[in-house]
Amino acid sequence: MKNIEQFRYVTGVGFDKLVSRLIEDYTVYGTIKKDGFPAFSKISDAGELELAQTPTHLSAKEFLFPQRETLLKFDIRNNIHEAVIEAKEQVIVGLHPCDIRAIALMDRVFSEGRPDANYLARRNKTVIIGSDCMPDNYCFCKSMGTMTVEEGFDLFLHKIKKGYLVRVGTKKGERLLSKYTVTLKPTAGRLRELDEFNKIREASFTAKLDASPEELPSIYAGAYESPVWDKIGAICTGCGSCNNVCPTCYCFDVKDEVEPNLSEGKRVRVWDGCTLEDFAKVAGGHNFRKTRAERLRHRFNRKFRYLSDRFGELFCVGCGRCSRTCLVKINIAEVTNEIIRESHRRR
Amino acid sequence: MKLYGNPIEGDRIEPILENIESPYLPTPGIIERALRVTEKEKFFTVTPLSPRLLDYRPGQFFMVGLPGYGEAPISVTSAPGSAKTLDLCIRAVGNLTDAVHRLGKGDWLWIRGPFGTSFPLHEMKGKDIIFVAGGIGIVPMRSLIKAVVREHGFGKKTLIYGSKSPEEMLFTEEMEDWRARGCDVQLTIDKPHPEWGGNVGVVTTLIPKLKVREGKTIAVIIGPPVMYKFVILSLKGKLIGPEHIFVSLERRMRCGVGKCGHCQINGCYVCQEGPVFKLSELKDLPEAI
Repeated sequence: MKNIEQFRYVTGVGFDKLVSRLIEDYTVYGTIKKDGFPAFSKISDAGELELAQTPTHLSAKEFLFPQRETLLKFDIRNNIHEAVIEAKEQVIVGLHPCDIRAIALMDRVFSEGRPDANYLARRNKTVIIGSDCMPDNYCFCKSMGTMTVEEGFDLFLHKIKKGYLVRVGTKKGERLLSKYTVTLKPTAGRLRELDEFNKIREASFTAKLDASPEELPSIYAGAYESPVWDKIGAICTGCGSCNNVCPTCYCFDVKDEVEPNLSEGKRVRVWDGCTLEDFAKVAGGHNFRKTRAERLRHRFNRKFRYLSDRFGELFCVGCGRCSRTCLVKINIAEVTNEIIRESHRRR
Repeated sequence: MKLYGNPIEGDRIEPILENIESPYLPTPGIIERALRVTEKEKFFTVTPLSPRLLDYRPGQFFMVGLPGYGEAPISVTSAPGSAKTLDLCIRAVGNLTDAVHRLGKGDWLWIRGPFGTSFPLHEMKGKDIIFVAGGIGIVPMRSLIKAVVREHGFGKKTLIYGSKSPEEMLFTEEMEDWRARGCDVQLTIDKPHPEWGGNVGVVTTLIPKLKVREGKTIAVIIGPPVMYKFVILSLKGKLIGPEHIFVSLERRMRCGVGKCGHCQINGCYVCQEGPVFKLSELKDLPEAI
């Protein structure tokens, strides 16, 4: 049984009221059904919001790290460069634990070392409202230790039959809840309902890793010369979809765009992907990761080893998006299990 | 180290958001002198408007840009010191660098930096130094050589510099001065050339002839990607090991501040942990050399 103090109860009507009032004061993004699939979208009416149980195809990273973002404005004739930092008060509703975990990782990337003012300004104006989920065949957050979150959100919603149990993560969340709606103490029966749901959820995972998250960096380190890279490199089309959908892929390219007056323009950053052919190519033409196998190895190692060496945390959150979107069905959990099996054989 | 507060205290990032400057905003540098030095390279002397840009060390680089064309990492080629200018030697290999080549005296470049690690001069003191440069590897090497030859306290200094042809050789007019300051300069070109009386062959052909004091010699290698492993092998033959070899590595870069991901060698960000590495630091980075 969960600690009863953690939870508030909000009725269905009370929740709609919360969303409606948030829409008045913030730009609100949440999950809707798009062509039958859950997707994040701007919400202009509480009725549009449909909390999704399975993951969205695209992550919510675009609201904090847009696919295309202006970094500078310039005016060539007048020799002017001006930094552009765009951020608006926004709310993202319906983030699953894996997504919330991913945002916490992105926070570290963009705040440590030389802080990235663009990301941080946007992040600082963002309210994170999480919600419960149910795994599909690609989800393996249970194996990554990211199945539940205790922090990283302002509010977290647990949908029950009638209404919502709400966890408060921050003072900001607390303020929003008291400002915009009415909360009640949850009854023991409602908390039991949540416990039942959690049991079903935990038993519903089909994808899983055959090693603990703590073991993965060293297993990946031992798999540098594994035949698995050539195997998946041979079928990879190098499309970069895995990078696009990943909630923790943050690499970017920087491009200049000039207005038709040929003086004013912008320097923009756009998402880039380490699986794309030109990613590591230098001006002289030398490509430091020539083959798809090398590029995939790089991407997988970033998730399970390179960035954990740097930040002390794994950068795969087990959302399964890369596997779900892959045109040739390269499955991150299966590839990792193959590497785990190889590591057992080496022992 | 976490830069944001305990989430339960709320307002996670506000404390560090105050006064953060955009890391992507460049400052201007005015071109004082622009000199075509070879068919492909142009040499620029630049006065940066921000004095912060003059606080650089040999081996570091700047993100040099032009509005409308973008930015590229460019190594500094002057040695830091009293001058109010810095030197850049730029090869035209793409849209940006082609556009930079069209600039002349009085034009502006937009610069961020300096970025990255530098050659540890203090560690080189008291040692013999072998500089091995290939192609435009001489550009960052010049910054180091100039810093070394003007100071006392270094041992024997030797530059081995190879280029494809005599026409592509850079800074030859300065080499008499380097020689006068105690640096033995040995030049080589890749293929025979009617006007060339010197050594022919890749840089590694000159290494076996060197007299090396074991344990008291430092080697510095800067050149095209293909050059490193052969030079390292030759130096090994001279008993110069990874603890005494420094390299500067080129990679694609877009940000210079450890975010964009392009410069990564395995898990290492070259713009942060490099471009200057001690070879022994690279032993766990198979993509490095």
